[in-house]
Amino acid sequence: MVDDKTHDRILEVENLSVEFSTYGGDVKAVRGVSFGVNRGETLAIVGESGCGKSVTVQSIMGIIPMPPGRITGGSARLNGMELLGLSAKESNKFRGVQIGMIFQDPMTSLNPTMTIGDQIAETLRVHRNKSYKEASALAVELLEKTHIPEAEKRAKQYPFEFSGGMLQRAMIAQSLACNPSVLIADEPTTALDVTIQAQILELMSELQRTENMSIILITHDLAVVAKMADEVAVMYAGQIVESGAVDDIFYHSSHPYTLGLKKAMPRNTGERKQKLMPIIGSPPDLFSPPTGCGYFARCPYAMKICETRQPENFPIVQDDDHHAMCWLQHEDAPVTKELHQNHASIDHAG
Amino acid sequence: MTDVTPTAEDFSPATSSISVEQISRPSLSYWQDAWIRLKKNTRAIISLYIVLSLAFFTLLGPIFWNVDPSLQDLNQISQAPSLPKTAVLVGQYQRWSGIVLEDFPAEPADYPDSVDAVTDLRPFELATTQQVRLVWNPVVGAAGYNIYRNQRLPENFNDLGLPLGSTYGGNEVSYEDRLSLESRPYYYAVVPTDGLDEYEVYTVIEVTPSMIITLAEASDRQLIKDANVAQTGTALKLEFHPFGTDYLGRDMLARLMQGARVSLFIGIVAPFIYVIMGIVYGGFAGYFGGTIDSLLMRFADFVVALPFLLFMILFKIAFGIGPGESGIFPMLIALVLLLWPATARLVRGQVLQIREQGYIEAARLLGAKPHYLILRHIIPNTMGVILVTLTFAVPAAIFTEAFLSFIGMGVAPPTPSWGSMCNEGVKTMLSHPHELIFPAVFISITVLAFNLLGDGLTEALDSRMRSRE
Amino acid sequence: MLAYTLKRLLAGVITVWFIATATFIAMHQVPGDPLMNDKAVSAEIRKNLEQKYGLDKPVVEQYFIFLGNMLEGDFGISFTQQNRRVNDIIRDHFPVSATLGILAVFFAASGGILWGALTAIYRNRTPDIVIMFLVILGISVPSFVFAALGQLLLVNINSLLGQSVIPVAGWGTISHMLMPSLVLGLGTMALLTRLMRSSMLEIVNEDYIKTARAKGLSPMRIFFRHQLRNAILPVITVLGPQIAAITTGGFVVELVFAIPGLGRYFVQAVQQLDYTVIMGTTVFYGAFLVLMVIIVDVLYGFVDPRVRLQ
Repeated sequence: MVDDKTHDRILEVENLSVEFSTYGGDVKAVRGVSFGVNRGETLAIVGESGCGKSVTVQSIMGIIPMPPGRITGGSARLNGMELLGLSAKESNKFRGVQIGMIFQDPMTSLNPTMTIGDQIAETLRVHRNKSYKEASALAVELLEKTHIPEAEKRAKQYPFEFSGGMLQRAMIAQSLACNPSVLIADEPTTALDVTIQAQILELMSELQRTENMSIILITHDLAVVAKMADEVAVMYAGQIVESGAVDDIFYHSSHPYTLGLKKAMPRNTGERKQKLMPIIGSPPDLFSPPTGCGYFARCPYAMKICETRQPENFPIVQDDDHHAMCWLQHEDAPVTKELHQNHASIDHAG
Repeated sequence: MTDVTPTAEDFSPATSSISVEQISRPSLSYWQDAWIRLKKNTRAIISLYIVLSLAFFTLLGPIFWNVDPSLQDLNQISQAPSLPKTAVLVGQYQRWSGIVLEDFPAEPADYPDSVDAVTDLRPFELATTQQVRLVWNPVVGAAGYNIYRNQRLPENFNDLGLPLGSTYGGNEVSYEDRLSLESRPYYYAVVPTDGLDEYEVYTVIEVTPSMIITLAEASDRQLIKDANVAQTGTALKLEFHPFGTDYLGRDMLARLMQGARVSLFIGIVAPFIYVIMGIVYGGFAGYFGGTIDSLLMRFADFVVALPFLLFMILFKIAFGIGPGESGIFPMLIALVLLLWPATARLVRGQVLQIREQGYIEAARLLGAKPHYLILRHIIPNTMGVILVTLTFAVPAAIFTEAFLSFIGMGVAPPTPSWGSMCNEGVKTMLSHPHELIFPAVFISITVLAFNLLGDGLTEALDSRMRSRE
Repeated sequence: MLAYTLKRLLAGVITVWFIATATFIAMHQVPGDPLMNDKAVSAEIRKNLEQKYGLDKPVVEQYFIFLGNMLEGDFGISFTQQNRRVNDIIRDHFPVSATLGILAVFFAASGGILWGALTAIYRNRTPDIVIMFLVILGISVPSFVFAALGQLLLVNINSLLGQSVIPVAGWGTISHMLMPSLVLGLGTMALLTRLMRSSMLEIVNEDYIKTARAKGLSPMRIFFRHQLRNAILPVITVLGPQIAAITTGGFVVELVFAIPGLGRYFVQAVQQLDYTVIMGTTVFYGAFLVLMVIIVDVLYGFVDPRVRLQ
């Protein structure tokens, strides 16, 4: 790990809040999210569907539909430059240039009536003022870089002639066109089958090394997190409930939700008879978020205070830059068996 | 929040009874849910009211407005909508020989370069819609007069309007106008001439003829009880035509009501029959599938390919509509025979889709017979689509009827339908637009209402379908 | 693509043959014949005429004679129009109808795409509400009412300007063609506007539009390069059937505007059971429509690579 972490933050998000106006009222989709990404490292944002992961990164990119979407507060700085609240014209100076983005379903994320080559070349023509010919040649190079065989021929083909994995490679090629310093990958492997998933993750790691780029990886798959991430932010009901280095999150899980996610994940180690434990219930209604902890209703350790008071973001003292938003980290809280707690120095590794 | 230090009590286990898995919404049936959604759609509900009032207009209208739609009111031909009119009762038309002055020369002694305009231009007697009789004082130097009529006040000498006629003689100082007079202001102008050319002076008078009705006609139409008792010159109330009359003097409101019966009958019954035909045909094809399906569907394709207009007209000829027949039934049959394939194709598609669903398989495994499957599972699940088809088929059929009647290939006169009324109205469109506008508005509102209702139904039923997936 | 086009053409020929046969059978099933209108004809003259036109032969034989002549491109001689050849009637009047129809389709398609795109951009704002209100009117008002209103408008314009600037009826110059074709296209335009609007609104939510925004493309570029092109696709698919609808509507517009198109002859011929004119115009119209639909479908292939390459 890099020592002067805090000085090498490339992207810093602070207290970001996003709401959506719908016919049923305002949905508070993101409620004060803060995180940072270091140069050349990978931050994984984990959480279940609808917890606000995608909205968070799409807000940073300025691509949530407004209206109904609305950024109600916070800031996002890329190398010190504020990204939120920019005009469309100003946003387009960093979108696709300094931050690239790939999406969950490559099948629907590319324009069906444009050739792959043209779509990649389009970015270069818009941002780098290349001629059509130059841009097309560079597009072929980019496709080669993402290990697409017969790139020259493939560039002239349409999305429907590609397989899912190949399309995601093409998406990556497209997002890399202008050598971005940050790549946002919004569940890049969810729509792909398992063998392809590994290849795509492999490719992303490789490109991260060669291009020295940071990745924000959004996923609900802890296996992917373990493989890819340097740092992890666990999101629940529009908030980051636990954040820290990947090992700390896995071995010093300090929030019951992280623990729940871990238990719900199949693994090939440990006792054979161990059952997968689902997290019972469903996330709270974000039309009117609970006054207390969002996880209260589902938490096996729920305490009285959790219902009425929003937990503080407690630092986990043994670890470097590890935080958990849970009353159990309060020094007066009872000691639990499985959870890592500041005041109960038990190592729960494994 | 952080300013209050938590107490030990705060950290005791929660005893809240919040259920983690609760169903907060009441459970609704398919149609209940659809109805709730439809009720939220203001446009669809307004349309529903329009459809209902149309039904009222058609079925109960004639009870409240009991006027014979084929009765001619010759006094009020092509009458625009207006309040009830009164007419003056007059006798038979009497010829008028006009006024020729004896003490004035017919031809002037010499022809001056200019003359004065005529003076004292006035109606000879009460101007009526039967005749307008004008007299004026002669002008020295004139050898005749030209008479003009305009519907607005003339601005200058070139704007006198319709040339009615001329008199040939400086002493012929009267004119009788009987040219299709209406009870509205006219501007008569008289210009002296030298027998050939006009002097550029004119005199204008405004005349509004009074509506009249002859004794004979009034007793004919039973507006007066006894022709011998009635006095000429008394005012008489004429029949009221709130929507005006057509070019034959028939009451528009009564005709619109009767036309509504024809148009809506065809517009509702034809789709109803052919949608049922389509359901049976398409359901059959879809349920049995295979060769039967492809044969049946190929036939349907051929029917679709037939030139619609040609076959409509051929049907009409084949049925040989005789005098006095309305031609409603041939049209109905032709519509049904030519339009069923669209529904059949739709229903077939639905049935093919539903047939593969798990619950059909499950029912079959439990030993359900084909007719049970069809009646209990397949048809109820296609009802939504069918209902929507039907709502859109109604305006389409009304359009078709109107179109055919408009080109004279539909309902035979004198039976009115909205389409045939438009056909008649378009001929007098420039002078009496109301004869076209009323039936056209009725067609448009009806079609609009059914279209919006169909939109509403699609939304109500469709979103329900989406959430069921 | 070529094989596809050929296959479609073959299917088209079969359709036209079917239409011809069905029309022939139906026409002969209807009581009466083309000679019934000449009431004064004596039995002998009638017999001679029947012989001249080949009506004395069995229907089946007449059918094959007709088919043979049709393959040679000869539709015979009209019964009711003073020995005029059907080919001449078609040659003289079809171009008028076709010009009217094609102009109408052009107005409908360009207007539909333009208004549809506009309403989608201004969704739920004043331009959208106004246009969609007009669209609903356009769908609900019959074409003959539009034709009459269009004529009324021309009359008013002319009387306002004090001279006949735009002719109210007739055919010949561009100014004759504008109002009838506009009026004829209005219904379809309304339909296409609706379709285009919903198609545009659907595509705004597509993932690839999000991708385009994440690529940092300008809103204009996203609109023209990504949204518009994909939104037009469903509009093109319904264009084929709409051409048939416009052709039928053309009869009415020809009637109202006194346009010397083929429609009037067709209606007249059917009423008088003028066998040769019915067959000629039906087959010709059928072939024209089938061809137009094929052209639209092939055109669609050029816009949508998914169809072109499969």
